Amino acid sequence: MRTECPREADVVAAVLDGRWETTDEGLKTHAGHCEICRDVVAVASLLSVDQEQTRRDVHVPAAGQVWWRAAVRARLEAAHRAAQPLTWLHGIAGACAVGLAWTVAGMAWPSIRDAASWVSTQAWGVDSRVGDVAVLVAAVVQKSLPLAFVAAACLVLVPVALYFALSDD
Amino acid sequence: MRDATLSDVERLGAFDEAERTFQMTEDAFRIFYDQTARAVWVYLARTTGDDRLADDLLQEAFYRFLRTRTTFENDDHRRHYLFRIATNLVRDHRRRPRKDDGRMDEALEGLAVDEDANVGDRAVQRIDLTRAMGRLKKRERSLLWLAYAQGFSHEEIAGLLGLKTASLKALLHRARKRLVALLGNPRQSGERL
Repeated sequence: MRTECPREADVVAAVLDGRWETTDEGLKTHAGHCEICRDVVAVASLLSVDQEQTRRDVHVPAAGQVWWRAAVRARLEAAHRAAQPLTWLHGIAGACAVGLAWTVAGMAWPSIRDAASWVSTQAWGVDSRVGDVAVLVAAVVQKSLPLAFVAAACLVLVPVALYFALSDD
Repeated sequence: MRDATLSDVERLGAFDEAERTFQMTEDAFRIFYDQTARAVWVYLARTTGDDRLADDLLQEAFYRFLRTRTTFENDDHRRHYLFRIATNLVRDHRRRPRKDDGRMDEALEGLAVDEDANVGDRAVQRIDLTRAMGRLKKRERSLLWLAYAQGFSHEEIAGLLGLKTASLKALLHRARKRLVALLGNPRQSGERL
């Protein structure tokens, strides 16, 4: 079965240029006998008329508006791309903070263990007198003072460090 | 991660920066856009059967066109490239699940039938055509539109759609026969066309 005709391009050109009615009789006669070209005339006539009418009716955005949107979007995408390395930096800073906290905790662990051991020793020796409880609390506070300092330092320094690491400026 | 947003000042900067970012100047773009935008919109609307989607895809097509690094030999090359982008956008959209198959019917609502006899006949013809096109596959619509509304050659369409010319000719022939049958034989579509 034939799927193309060598004169199809001529027929399409004549229809789309709006000169089918005035085109040479040879081409018209051919289209009358050629099933392919007859269909091409029918389809191209309808589609070209539809295209012309729709093109007239349609309201596309103004060129300046499309340009403006594209410019803003390009800038936005550039900003997004620039922010991607910063995201990695955030992750690395977070991991560093966790690692630092873990290291400090490891370093402070002997002090914690000593303090806990001392507290348990004192607790076994304590009698029912209320005054001894106050002494015990004071002793615990005094004993774990270095640990408290380390914890406080972490609480203050880590957010400050994170602020400087993650700050946009 | 912080959101990428632009201040008003940055937006103004974007406007100044655009000519360095894009592959053509604003003045050149205006001329090219005025020559091609309507044709591309109609192609997108007729291929997708969805006017609103055509609006979105039109903006996307021109954005991609502006961002391309391709060097164009002439205006025809530019136009073909733009239609290729539009075709790819339709193809990408086709791969997504369709939320609404009734968009073609919505498109018909915009085609009001005029009181005047000739205009009315033409409007009815357009409604018939829109319905018939709606019965075709999107690729068939693309083929027919590029060939018989845009007047692209078989080789050009094959290049746009990434097909071999021989396959394109067979597909185009089949699509044309289907459209003619749908237009000429309303019963085939189960309703008046």
